[in-house]
Amino acid sequence: MNSAATAIDVRDVTKTYVLGDVKVEALRGVTFTIARGEYVAIMGPSGSGKSTLMNLLGCLDVPTTGRYLLDGIDVSTLGDDALAAIRLRKLGFVFQGFNLLARTSAVKNVALPLFYAGIGVKARGATATERLREVGLGDRLDHKPAELSGGQQQRVAIARALVNDPAVLLADEPTGNLDSTTSEELMALFGDLNAGGRTIIMVTHDEGVASHARRIIRLRDGRIVDDRPTAPN
Amino acid sequence: MNLSAYIAEAFAVLVANRVRSILTALGLVIGVTAVIAIQVLGASMSGAVGGVLGSLSERTFFVVPNQRQADFTRAAIRLEDLQRLRFDVPNVIDAIPGGQTVREARIGHSRRRLGVGAQSDERFASETPLIAGRKLTPEDIALARHVCVISGEAAQKLQITGAQVGSSLRVGDHRYTIVGILDRSRAGRLPSLANFDISIPYTLYEREYARGRAIIAARVLVDDTSKIAQTESDTLAWLAALKKGRVEYQTFDRKSFSKAVDGIFAGVTLVVGLIGAVSLVVAGIGILNIMLVSVAERTREIGLRKAIGATRFQILLQFFIEALALSAFGCTVGLVLGVLIGALVNDLAIVKLSGIVAPIPWLRSIAIATGFATIVTLVFGTYPAWRAATLDPIEALRYE
Ligand SMILES: Nc1ncnc2c1ncn2[C@@H]1O[C@H](COP(=O)(O)OP(=O)(O)O)[C@@H](O)[C@H]1O
Ligand SMILES: [Mg+2]
Repeated sequence: MNSAATAIDVRDVTKTYVLGDVKVEALRGVTFTIARGEYVAIMGPSGSGKSTLMNLLGCLDVPTTGRYLLDGIDVSTLGDDALAAIRLRKLGFVFQGFNLLARTSAVKNVALPLFYAGIGVKARGATATERLREVGLGDRLDHKPAELSGGQQQRVAIARALVNDPAVLLADEPTGNLDSTTSEELMALFGDLNAGGRTIIMVTHDEGVASHARRIIRLRDGRIVDDRPTAPN
Repeated sequence: MNLSAYIAEAFAVLVANRVRSILTALGLVIGVTAVIAIQVLGASMSGAVGGVLGSLSERTFFVVPNQRQADFTRAAIRLEDLQRLRFDVPNVIDAIPGGQTVREARIGHSRRRLGVGAQSDERFASETPLIAGRKLTPEDIALARHVCVISGEAAQKLQITGAQVGSSLRVGDHRYTIVGILDRSRAGRLPSLANFDISIPYTLYEREYARGRAIIAARVLVDDTSKIAQTESDTLAWLAALKKGRVEYQTFDRKSFSKAVDGIFAGVTLVVGLIGAVSLVVAGIGILNIMLVSVAERTREIGLRKAIGATRFQILLQFFIEALALSAFGCTVGLVLGVLIGALVNDLAIVKLSGIVAPIPWLRSIAIATGFATIVTLVFGTYPAWRAATLDPIEALRYE
């Protein structure tokens, strides 16, 4: 696999939390690569290190040891502002709790990363509108989050995650707050995005949700215990 | 960097939390109002007092016994002493009794108790202009003529008009011909130091009011204003020799009066200004508090903003501008109130009472209040913004 096609390259990554005298080894040496265009689910029991891994992949934290290349860039040693720049340009986040700004319209929520990228107000509005159309919310541009259903809110969050055209879309329990019908719709959207070439990594508890991915990485006690493609459907 | 977006966002947040924003800004409103109003009123009042002093001739000074000595009875200056002072001390043209004597004045059907004071010719007299007649002349003085000049205020009380120049005014047992009527003095109703209700030639005053009586204060006319300080010390030395050092005197002239008055107002302005400054600091602590609350409430929002790529500086800017917006709001309201209160009290009270329109340092007052409020905001607004900027995004996103 050549490096241009590799979105994520994780080698011998460990993460140890130090709480006073207690050391918690959340990740005990994890190695894998994810190619561009892959759709991966990360599964595992509670406390197995899923969130820790997602935080590292999302450049919200750095590994204690090991190396992490994102889109060819070694991010394991970067400082705060450099990590922020990577998050801005290379990553899109979708959270379980949507995390939309409550007082702000859908289009402005989606435009937020463009604001931090220093893009002018007109271009922000145009790009954000286009992204909202892509997730099927072209008629909800000026709605506030409270005026949208859970599924619609999560679509706004996905549009926001995609607005900077990131290399990787990271989703932590994206269906955790949604009912099963809405979850199915969202998974259909993820499938479409992946079919369109998006690299997607999501954490989930739900085998049904995970089955939409094309590869599942299973964690236990901070180690990868299983890593295989899902049965083609 | 898109500052306008930050500013719009900050005001949107403040409007969304309008009640607490207003309550927080209130401290700043009070502080800024107080600082401005105090400076304006200080300038206005010291201007008014300065105007009163302006009615004193620059060529005169007062000699009075030092207030802090045990035995006042020996302090009195006798008439003969004043006459000798004229000859013995260089530069002294004249020395006349200060102070006034209250008598009943009558003309037509009007009668009023008014102050009669010794006055010399125009060189001594205040700068208050005449509305009719003339001031006292050297001949009036030399001949101790039974003439008087009436102050504008006294003329009003006695209902004397310009047409009555030349009429006779009864003052106690005496009769004086009115030779002039002054305009209302610039000193207005504030106590006046040398604008007597009824001014008569000092030679006449000495004969009719001062003979055989102790003169407590004297006014001295100097022929050259540049020598006034020297003449004052010469006079004090002369008096010390005369009284063989048993009595202490002191002198005041327009300059030393002004200095003393300015000192008092500077002191009052400083103290009250400090109270205003303290209230601004308290207001700053209010801003600190509300901004910390705002940061805590929006921890998740901050986590989200950082996760999608906001830098620490961008977060810092957001919360810093929010504190600035809060402060700008309080400051603006405070400026308007301070200027309004200052202008109202100045126009309705001080100018009306004193008749003096003093120059008010509006810009300086506003600049000082705004500057201080800005410093307070910078000091107290930075910490919450820094707290927000340095939040760990993972922790912040997990925050409930
Ligand atoms: N910030 C932290 N400080 C200390 N320990 C932590 C922290 N985050 C996670 N852990 C610990 O690391 C381990 C893995 O946690 P996590 O990655 O959240 O697991 P999962 O998401 O799979 O439930 C757990 O034992 C958890 O208690
Ligand atoms: Mg977790």
